[in-house]
Amino acid sequence: MARTLKDLRPVYVVGIGWHRYQNPSDTPYVTLGVTAIREALGDAGIEWPTVESAYVATALLGMASGRPMLRHLGATGLPLSHVENASASGSTAFRQACIEVASGLTDVSLAVGVDKRNPVRREGTGIDNLAEDAIAQFTHFSLLTNEYAHRHKVSFEDIARVAVKNHRNGARNRNAQRQQERSLEEVLGGRKVAGSLTPLQCTPVGEGAAAVIVASEDGIRRLGIDAARAIRVVGSTARSERVYAAGLGFDAVLTKETTTIALEEAQVTPRDLDIIELHDAFTVEELHYIENIGLCREGEGVHLLKEGALDIGGRCAVNSSGGLIAMGHPIGPTGIGQIGEIALQLRGEAGPRQHPNARTGLAHMVGVGAVCYVHILQRP
Amino acid sequence: MENQLLKPTLYTPAGALLGGRCTCGHVFFPMQTHGCEVCGRYGADLQPMTLSGRGKLLSATIVHLHADKARATPFTIGKIALAEGPVVRTLLLDRDREIAPGTPMAARLVPIGETGLDLRFAPEG
Ligand SMILES: [Zn+2]
Repeated sequence: MARTLKDLRPVYVVGIGWHRYQNPSDTPYVTLGVTAIREALGDAGIEWPTVESAYVATALLGMASGRPMLRHLGATGLPLSHVENASASGSTAFRQACIEVASGLTDVSLAVGVDKRNPVRREGTGIDNLAEDAIAQFTHFSLLTNEYAHRHKVSFEDIARVAVKNHRNGARNRNAQRQQERSLEEVLGGRKVAGSLTPLQCTPVGEGAAAVIVASEDGIRRLGIDAARAIRVVGSTARSERVYAAGLGFDAVLTKETTTIALEEAQVTPRDLDIIELHDAFTVEELHYIENIGLCREGEGVHLLKEGALDIGGRCAVNSSGGLIAMGHPIGPTGIGQIGEIALQLRGEAGPRQHPNARTGLAHMVGVGAVCYVHILQRP
Repeated sequence: MENQLLKPTLYTPAGALLGGRCTCGHVFFPMQTHGCEVCGRYGADLQPMTLSGRGKLLSATIVHLHADKARATPFTIGKIALAEGPVVRTLLLDRDREIAPGTPMAARLVPIGETGLDLRFAPEG
């Protein structure tokens, strides 16, 4: 019988750091990456040579971008690998680092995500398609928005409230790409990109970096890391898309499958979740995902949103970082930044956006393919 | 000069779609022999199957902005569940008309440019 992460050695998040997510600039990716790693090392209170392995998550930097970055921390010779898994690249790197520590192969490992906004290149499969070149990501999610609004008799205005909440949260996050509160009128007022979707309801893909250091109990003791600030990883699950019945949204079904396994592994229920960071690249996704994570029944997400249950200070703070819509989505860093946000919240160190008494958090990420990653974190 | 189908590997001059069927029963579009997504059979276990080009609209959206300037906006993308099972996403005939989910749809060929023909879906009838 295969085992889960929780059956292996306990793994803890002990260090977190960022380079702010921002609009594309001339800043080299090396600067973005080492900034985040140095902040994570400082946060853990450890030195670079104590890190035993590194996973570099990046989707758009091309081949072998890690060594030219990591060498500027001191070339210690540590094993290094690159992880590309579309939007879930960072989540995947984090899971690999956790698995390596949990297995006992290392005591301290690093997951770092770094990206610049470069063109996406995908090789053809040899199978033609009718008009995929006419279907951008926002068009896919506009189709889902229209389906959701029609099926659940929900207004586009109400769906857009997701962006109002997430911009409000992002305005309190110094690492967010968008740090400005927006009214519902502002969110709805922009030029429409497809259907009812406006730019403020879509993630602004930019650049940035995020780093997380994970450690075993042996590592924590040996390096004198503050155990009171260590956040345990109690669940880690990854799945990819299967064949679903026509009309079922694959992102939503895949989210449900993956989350169900992760919750069982962590022995928690959706009601136990204080914090959720999820893939809200487009407003409708947040509603789909909270429903499939199990916060409420299908079609009821708007009620929770409107009554403030998803706000910081509400029943469960969703995307307290600002999410992909406001914090941003530099691809490689995104899933790692989610883990950092949850660790901040569970430590009680989230400052102006602290959710009271946060004990359990869930990070959710989907990536083109589709793949889905869910991690559950808990304070000791 | 005869009008040319833009993608003759995907549809027929009559507007039927060139799909496939696995011996396991799974129907897919377009035809391919790489392997079946349901059971993994490949090669000769996957046989061509002509799909009627009729189905039901699951969702549609009017696209106002598109990166490729060669594709004039607005245009409408629809997601259609074909009668035989597969779901396709492609261009609808009407560039900027709202069509309600559930509407029966049919494929047809329409002139594109000087001599081309391409497939579009429109409400049936
Ligand atoms: Zn098959």
